[in-house]
Amino acid sequence: MTTREEFMARIRAEMGKTRGLFPATPATRPEYPREEAEAIRAQLAERWPEALERFRHEFEKVGGVFHRVPTLTEVPEVVTGIARAREARRLVSWHPSQLGADLGQALAARGLTPLPMPPGEATNPTERARLRQLAASAELGLTGVDLAIAETGTLVLRSGAGRPRSTSLLPAYHIAVFDRTALVESLAQVGVFLELWHADGATEDRGAVISFITGPSRTADIELTLTRGVHGPKEVHVIFVEREIRG
Amino acid sequence: MSQADLSVPFRQRAGSAMKDAFLQEALTIATTKFIGLRREAFGDFPEGEKLRDVAREIKEATLQHLDRYLEQLIDNVERLGGKVHFASTAAEARGVILEIARQAGARMAVKSKSMATEEIHLNEALEQAGITPVETDLGEYIIQLAHERPSHIIAPAIHKTKGQVADLFAKELRRTVAADPEVLTKIARGELREKFLQADLGITGANFAIADTGTIVLVTNEGNGRMVTSLPRVHVAVMGVEKVVPSMTDLMVFLAILAKSATGQKLSVYTTFVQGPRRAGELEGPEELHLVLLDNGRINQLAGPLREALYCLRCGACLNVCPVYRQIGGHAYGHTYPGPIGILLTAMLSGPASVKELAHASSLCGACAEACPVRIDIPRMLIELRREVDETKIAPRTERAVFKAFGRLLTRPVLYRLAARIARLLQRPFVRDGAIRSLPLFFGDWTRTRDLPAVAPRTFHERWKELAREAPP
Repeated sequence: MTTREEFMARIRAEMGKTRGLFPATPATRPEYPREEAEAIRAQLAERWPEALERFRHEFEKVGGVFHRVPTLTEVPEVVTGIARAREARRLVSWHPSQLGADLGQALAARGLTPLPMPPGEATNPTERARLRQLAASAELGLTGVDLAIAETGTLVLRSGAGRPRSTSLLPAYHIAVFDRTALVESLAQVGVFLELWHADGATEDRGAVISFITGPSRTADIELTLTRGVHGPKEVHVIFVEREIRG
Repeated sequence: MSQADLSVPFRQRAGSAMKDAFLQEALTIATTKFIGLRREAFGDFPEGEKLRDVAREIKEATLQHLDRYLEQLIDNVERLGGKVHFASTAAEARGVILEIARQAGARMAVKSKSMATEEIHLNEALEQAGITPVETDLGEYIIQLAHERPSHIIAPAIHKTKGQVADLFAKELRRTVAADPEVLTKIARGELREKFLQADLGITGANFAIADTGTIVLVTNEGNGRMVTSLPRVHVAVMGVEKVVPSMTDLMVFLAILAKSATGQKLSVYTTFVQGPRRAGELEGPEELHLVLLDNGRINQLAGPLREALYCLRCGACLNVCPVYRQIGGHAYGHTYPGPIGILLTAMLSGPASVKELAHASSLCGACAEACPVRIDIPRMLIELRREVDETKIAPRTERAVFKAFGRLLTRPVLYRLAARIARLLQRPFVRDGAIRSLPLFFGDWTRTRDLPAVAPRTFHERWKELAREAPP
């Protein structure tokens, strides 16, 4: 068994034999990620309509379906519309505290079957197994969005309490709700937020996974024929809410 | 063709690949499509050229302080509750993973696509230990059912038709289905969904690992990477030491060019950042996270002639543009990593002697270096490798003698002119329409698939002399 010390000693011994191919430094990191993130937010408060338009364009290019509503109140109607057209009823959702609203009743009133998920972890293994089967049986998954990247049409979702990883993964139809505060323009800007989240790491009550989602699950492994929904959702919808969700 | 047999010489492996009409068509369609998609993606992305330079510099900078970044990565993975293991060889890596699997009591392992686990031949080892490995990337799943190996880094089953896949599913899964990619994909979804939910162990590679944060980054299109890192109780990630990057900011540079180079997408569908095992409050996620750091010949190259090959992102762009790969496909190379970069990686993992023949499986046209997102100078290293393996003399003795004599002739003008005159006489029986169609004896190989130009009736030297006489300066 190689130990850490032996392994690293081998690396140092080899490194000592060379100065490398050319002088090089890594990318320049934001010195004050919090301030830079705030500056990006401030810029986006002005130019979000352009960012949203670009996001919509890119998101549709990767096979996403874009919806737009004035307020959260209209969200259940859109969700129900999607469900009805696909004969889907069973829905799992992020916890209302994470989604920014409790839509359960409104969805149930429209004929959907919201499957109750806990606000946090399940310590009992039997309960955990039951919840997993429940999530796996759902056809619709309703989540929020932490960032929406205009450049690539990407949704960024952080896991955590009340934000199960499976909600955006196991159901065939993923529906994500967001507002303009989630919009960023570029991958470079996302880098600033990732640096900030890391700097905040210890204090934030978030899970272990950040997921970038760029359209529905896809493969072209059989004769290069593009096929959707091989493992993850075969459709991804976003609902843009004009009035800020947590306003 | 299915499996490359290394006891068959490379020339023969390549020859049978070139006679396989289906493979030829599949290769042409796939590589041409990938080339077009890549070109389009970078065409729409003017900052791409600059980012490629930045990415290249980050790779070099990381290698210059590899010890520091790895120490940082290890500390951070452990701080987040993960465990880091060290493997100097493929055998040691297999041993480490088997021990983790045993302790987890795993009987089945779901895997997302990983060249590192292919490289260490993990599946065979798992099977022998009574643990069923299940490849979950659709292409990998297909070739696992067929007991084959990947033929392309990012499209492992491009050598199979939908009809062959349907037959395979009928035989292995006992499901009679239409030869329709949509239907076949749906079948695989159902089969593999069950496995994701049952497996105790999830095994992945790592496209990147971030030193500053202890994050393991996986890039997939199907979502199997997310399944494998969220559903099983234990997650093991295997990665070569060179995959570490300093920070999230560096990572963004690579993400901006990786998918564009591989499939022409702006980003792959899923980029998954794994920061330790399940945290308090989370409903799902593994209880244990293990990171296996793999040497297997890499560390030797830090100061070795193949150092630059350690920049490789495994995007497959150099395969698609390579005139040799486009003719023979991945299996004929006979090793885990095909294509131009594969020759270098094979030399890195198994020593230069293992690429005695392969070092010559390149026209040195430079298309690979041009397509590489981090501009790895593959031709330079191939030439160096040839020099190294040439000392082991692969050409037949007669051919070497002839070329040695030819080399002498070229340095002696009088002899050279004489030889040209003699050659003109000797070639007579072989020349037809100004070309030599076939040569006798061991020279035959030179004319088997091409014509040689005949020695001209009057050489340049002779014509020059005449011209000088007619029009003195």
